[in-house]
Amino acid sequence: MAITTAGAVYDRGYRPYDGPRGGRRAATFALYRASIRRALGLRRSWRQKVAPFVLLAIVTVPAVVNVGIKYITRGHINRQIEFITYRDYVGVSSALLVFVALVAPDILCPDRRQRVLPLLFARPLTGVDYVIAKVGALFSILFAFSFLPQLLLFVGQALVSDSALDYTRDNLDVTWKVPVSIALLAIFYAVVGLAIASLSSRRIVAGASFIGLFLVSSITAGILVGGEEGRVVGGSPAALISVLRLPLYLRDLVFLGEIDPLSPLNGVENGAAAAVLAYVCVLGIATAVLLQRYRWTER
Amino acid sequence: MPTAPLLRIDALTKRYGSVTALDSLTVEVPPGRVGVVGANGAGKTTLFRILLGLARPTHGSVYVSGMSVADDPIGVRSNLGYMPEHDCLPLDQTAADVVATFGELSGLPVRAARQRASDVLDLVGLDEARFRPIGGFSTGMRQRAKLAQALVGDPRLVLLDEPTAGLDPAGREEMLALVARLGTFGISVLMSTHLLDDVQRVCDYVVMIDGGRLVVSGPTDSLLERTGVVTVDVGSDAAAARLAARVVAAGMTAEVDEGVVEVTVAGDDDLDRIRDAIAELELPLYRLGSRLTSLDEVFFEKAMH
Repeated sequence: MAITTAGAVYDRGYRPYDGPRGGRRAATFALYRASIRRALGLRRSWRQKVAPFVLLAIVTVPAVVNVGIKYITRGHINRQIEFITYRDYVGVSSALLVFVALVAPDILCPDRRQRVLPLLFARPLTGVDYVIAKVGALFSILFAFSFLPQLLLFVGQALVSDSALDYTRDNLDVTWKVPVSIALLAIFYAVVGLAIASLSSRRIVAGASFIGLFLVSSITAGILVGGEEGRVVGGSPAALISVLRLPLYLRDLVFLGEIDPLSPLNGVENGAAAAVLAYVCVLGIATAVLLQRYRWTER
Repeated sequence: MPTAPLLRIDALTKRYGSVTALDSLTVEVPPGRVGVVGANGAGKTTLFRILLGLARPTHGSVYVSGMSVADDPIGVRSNLGYMPEHDCLPLDQTAADVVATFGELSGLPVRAARQRASDVLDLVGLDEARFRPIGGFSTGMRQRAKLAQALVGDPRLVLLDEPTAGLDPAGREEMLALVARLGTFGISVLMSTHLLDDVQRVCDYVVMIDGGRLVVSGPTDSLLERTGVVTVDVGSDAAAARLAARVVAAGMTAEVDEGVVEVTVAGDDDLDRIRDAIAELELPLYRLGSRLTSLDEVFFEKAMH
């Protein structure tokens, strides 16, 4: 005889956890992973995935075009002409700036606005850990999104060159200059972007403030330094006002060992040292703002 | 061997400028379900913030399971779960994601965190809603999701700040039932509320504070003194009226309140007379028990002195 059952409800009760348990480091890494997932729109609706992957597509276009040109013009005499150099490719795209303006507030502001912070700080996590996780997440994405197109450019150019081995040997310096300069750019954007985002609980305000800071400082520096002619003949210390260009001066120092002769800082006495100092100062102030905003105890 | 106190608070004072939130609070609390009772502004939330290491005491010390909050706040927090009063969950993420993430933040490995998230969401009754964004949850579901994130790390102590706030009667019943069950799982509960009835129903121990000062603390049963009144439930208003009339005729004081007879008794002889009256009237006896003072009465009596 067949036995039929109508189903049953099981109360599984509560099962205690007796496995391994991490401390501060594990909690920080968990927050880092959660922030990366949020920034990339993973486990969220498709709309949240558009911005990061459109950015990746945009920043990859120059590499594809450059490799394409090399491929088409292979065997031609003038094939030394390059659409974009490795140095130019670091921080060339304003899409990266827009991405920071979108993502930095998105991984920070909701925690404050939706009052998630008390829950986070009820875990084995300190304010410093929180800042490290958030900066680390944004830095990692910016580094990856800047480095992957460079990698594509390098591999593509090596493959379409006459000899991939020779190309690699001739451009060996790029293998450290690119990651170092990208790291300098990514940490700068990440810390400054998050510091500005930490000052508001509204994403739109934080994003607009970030873009505003970079645009206004850049325009102000442009006015103070002068026009195109002035830039070529000799620059001005006022060029350091431009927050946008600060990481690019360091990029030039990494690639060229000096300030770019075409940059608005050209000819300024101790311009390289001044650029490094300004970069460190801005980074230091932004870090201090972040740590102050997430000094959670005693609030 | 005596049980180590869950909580030892010694001369705890917290001042915010000229405002004293906690004033020389000294109390020792055993493991179990503990209610922290007080009016709004009594200092309950400040006490929780100090327990979590989010605020530093002006004076005094706090120990949770023997660990000093001042010396090792991270160690203390590793064993705590916290459910705030206010909304605090990311609205655009699913309950499963949020609870699993908080599990990882409590130090659990990824796989274990996801498994436990599933388990605790099932426990709080959100198993079918776990893949829905929290933004679409009702107030009751959000409260249960908050409880789930507090439990996912398998804490030894969970701090519940006004867990029934904003809930309708059915939601409140469900939440109190969940809180009552936590004790059976070996998890101690520190529940802050201004609803004395909630504490009376689920807590073994009560700490009453008012204006940052301790009013009274002790096991719930010991605070609920006998009043010399017994309540007799004989099943219906008519039966209660008949019994009350018979008891009064026998020389005792009795009144009917919501279908239950309340009789003032002087001793065991009076109890015998009530039993005999019920038997003679051939009434069904559903319940007979001593009426206790409510925590409201205890609070007002102690706070006034």
